[in-house]
Amino acid sequence: MYTFGIDIGSTSSKAVILKDGKEIIAHQVISLGTGTIGPKEAKEQVFKEASISPEEISYTIVTGYGRMKCDYADEQISELSCHAKGIHYLLPTVRTVIDIGGQDAKALRIDDKGRLIQFQMNDKCAAGTGRFLDVMAKILNVDINDLGPLSEKSNHPASISNTCTVFAESEVISKLSSDIPLEDIAAGIHESVAKRVAGMALRIGKTPDVAMSGGVALNIGVVHAMEREMECPVLVHPLCQSAGAIGAAILAWEKFTKEKVR
Amino acid sequence: MADLKSNIAFLQEACKNPRARLDYYLKQGKKVVGCFPVYTPEELIHASDMIPMGLWGGQTQLKLAKSYLPPFACPIMQSNMELGLSGAYQGLSAVIIPVLCDTFRCMTQNWRFGVPSIPMIPIVYPQNRKSPASVDYLISEYENVLTMLTTITGKMMNEKALAETIAIYNEHNAVMREFAKVANDHLDIVTPQVRHTVMKSAFFYEKSEHTAIVREIVEELKKLPAYPFTGKKVILTGITCEPDELLNIFTENHMAVVGDDLAQEMRQYRTDTPEKGGGGLKRLALQWNSRHGCSLIYEEGKPRGKMLVNLCKENGAGGVVTCMMKFCDPEEYDQPYFEADLREAGYPYLTIEIDQQNTSYEQIRTRIQTFSEMI
Repeated sequence: MYTFGIDIGSTSSKAVILKDGKEIIAHQVISLGTGTIGPKEAKEQVFKEASISPEEISYTIVTGYGRMKCDYADEQISELSCHAKGIHYLLPTVRTVIDIGGQDAKALRIDDKGRLIQFQMNDKCAAGTGRFLDVMAKILNVDINDLGPLSEKSNHPASISNTCTVFAESEVISKLSSDIPLEDIAAGIHESVAKRVAGMALRIGKTPDVAMSGGVALNIGVVHAMEREMECPVLVHPLCQSAGAIGAAILAWEKFTKEKVR
Repeated sequence: MADLKSNIAFLQEACKNPRARLDYYLKQGKKVVGCFPVYTPEELIHASDMIPMGLWGGQTQLKLAKSYLPPFACPIMQSNMELGLSGAYQGLSAVIIPVLCDTFRCMTQNWRFGVPSIPMIPIVYPQNRKSPASVDYLISEYENVLTMLTTITGKMMNEKALAETIAIYNEHNAVMREFAKVANDHLDIVTPQVRHTVMKSAFFYEKSEHTAIVREIVEELKKLPAYPFTGKKVILTGITCEPDELLNIFTENHMAVVGDDLAQEMRQYRTDTPEKGGGGLKRLALQWNSRHGCSLIYEEGKPRGKMLVNLCKENGAGGVVTCMMKFCDPEEYDQPYFEADLREAGYPYLTIEIDQQNTSYEQIRTRIQTFSEMI
């Protein structure tokens, strides 16, 4: 039996097909989010990869910022519940999840079954989100994917404000004009994100193990900065960006089998 | 007697257009006095044969108020100031501002300077309520309010009228408590938005008129079979939970409000004025001394958390939603205390930010949906 989970984020779309609630048979990440062709492409490509047709899917759950816009899913579930479930599948020992997405950041506390116990979300502000990193990478004229490796070369991270993306942007420009090396600015940017998000995460408590999910978890600079701020190891699974879609597919399987029992 | 649907529609109309209610009373030749939140002594206005009308801000674009208040001031005060400056409150004979937090303190002066056409009457409540002098002090504050009301409006109050008014307000409190109880058996009809409407509309009616409408609603509800609600039940705490767009997110997620500790709603109705204990002013002062579990009133022991736990238990709620008024220091100071009590009792809680000028609810939608999935 196949279930389909799709996570339509603000900047990317992730799709996963799961067999019998356990085995990921296909997963796709498209760097285009809600309101674009991203969700459609993610769906088409994931079915192509799995070599099955949409008719073979027993249940579909959509999650993410664009979840309200999806008309073919059986159900929509919030991305927090899906990330909790997805990370539990990928890293079963994790109890605290830090999910930094394109335009928001969340800290989740989960139990040994992957159920959400408590959560915190950022306020209406881009600071501490993937959008903050996008803006900074643009100013530094560095590809967003190179920001992490670049920051790892730094020995003296620059001090960057963590309160406001607009103010931080002008700070970065001022540091560039003061000839501060790019790697130090990049490291400062990551510290800024980590401080902001760790402050929020610590409000729900730091129960080990701690993991990161979402696209920003692929940035090694942010992960290391987060480990320093949280004062503990932070686990990252290679499929961290698809954790929401994986969780959606697992919840789809759980819902379908529960319905069947009834 | 109007039917259930019509009565709810009347109250919804009053909440949507309070100006029409003001004009209605003015056309009847009544004088109307605006009451800033919270605990404004409406009884003194009512007993002086005038109409007290609540001023709880609204969804308005802030322009003029920015000259008087910083951007980080309470959204209710900001919109009240804006509405005052733009002339929306013209027709009021006066406003009463209770000084219950720092923003209120500067609001009295802002209003006096910015809206001179509507005289302002301040009242400062005693916070050291253990001292017997607090009663004497509050009586003197009430006397000052009455003197200013009489000077401004020419209306006088007598002891007999105050006794009658207190009885009307206590009766209203009782009806509102009964509505809150009966509503929980009819969560299909009394959605979060309808519940809020019934509560908030009290600010725009003479109290015995509101009592009559709510009593009819209660009687009509009692005639109906209890509705077996299968969604998630929550308690709200905070200053307010509005506008309707926000409340409807609860309904979208199959959630019902089965109790509240909102300053705009049940918090004001849970404490009656004692029937005995002296003259009317003294009894009103004793009512103030009996109020409890409110962030705006100093109280040793911080009972709010335990009170919220009891509200959850009594009403079968699965958790508490803290409706945190943006930039509200007193509420923010209380939050860690009552959250600790909720944690200890095993009740989950969620915080959402309340801002009257908000136009986007997507983030709040995600939070409420997640909370619904969690509990």
